[in-house]
Amino acid sequence: MRAMQSMFRTKRHSVPSLNVASMPDLIFTVLFFFMIVTHMRSDEVKVHLQVPQGTEVQKLANKSAVANLYIGNLEGQWRVQLNGDLIRPEEIPARIEKIRAGMSPENAEHLTISLRADRKAPMGLVSDVKRSLQKVYALRINYSATDKNN
Amino acid sequence: MFRKRYHKQIPELNTTSTADISFMLLIFFLVTSSMDTEKGLLRQMPPPPLEHEQPMDIHKDMVMRIELDADNQLTLDGKTITLQQLTDEVRTMASINRTGHVVSIQADRATTYEAYFSMQNAVVSAYNSLRRQYAIQHYGKPYRFCSSDERAAINEYYPQRISEMPIAEEEGGRP
Repeated sequence: MRAMQSMFRTKRHSVPSLNVASMPDLIFTVLFFFMIVTHMRSDEVKVHLQVPQGTEVQKLANKSAVANLYIGNLEGQWRVQLNGDLIRPEEIPARIEKIRAGMSPENAEHLTISLRADRKAPMGLVSDVKRSLQKVYALRINYSATDKNN
Repeated sequence: MFRKRYHKQIPELNTTSTADISFMLLIFFLVTSSMDTEKGLLRQMPPPPLEHEQPMDIHKDMVMRIELDADNQLTLDGKTITLQQLTDEVRTMASINRTGHVVSIQADRATTYEAYFSMQNAVVSAYNSLRRQYAIQHYGKPYRFCSSDERAAINEYYPQRISEMPIAEEEGGRP
């Protein structure tokens, strides 16, 4: 009789705790994935700018051979920023030489200037910047833009 | 007595918070890094002109003179046109006279960068459409699937002959 009773009695089992030992491993995998596919934001953009839209844009490859040049608005004035610092267009040749010196020879050879200029920036300033770049043979320019197609 | 110590279990390390720590690292990387792939128009500028260099004379019929004035008005050989028309014109010119034509660009100091960029974009789009067409005809596959050698051959077949006029240093400095 007693054996019969025990057969139908609901057993009071506690829910087994979930094994979370592998959770850190999972998250580390995601972390490494992000570390590989992203790159650190190297410099803070001090000027305000909005790049134009284009239809023929291509991806910019070889990030390590890129110098960023920003042309944008700061407190009502058009300013030029090279990598992290606000500069005047005349300073560009010297700065580019310095950047080149800090690069590996292969990268220095393929130095690309990523020109991120605001839509409303006057061409006079952009042209001055381009001429300064020409002087130091930094001839590969990437006119940064967003893709209109998506 | 010795037997008893032997039976003692080593206590397990509590690793529950490892997940939190790695989450914090993950979030830190998400915040400080950017995933946006930079896109743009890659152009190669000519080297600075040498002192003794004389400008080449090119037959007038082969030159397309694109101008942008201070009000962002686009003109081709003196006639006002739209960007789409510009693309078509450049395309026609480049297909008729592949290696002899010249696209000459001149912008005013007051032209906005956006107008200039759209113009560059329109010109490049003309060349790209010609190259895509050539790739389909001769290699039987779209341009973007061609190997780098094939691309170089296509680019050589349809070279981009763009000449940019320097903008005057001061306004009204050039006659």
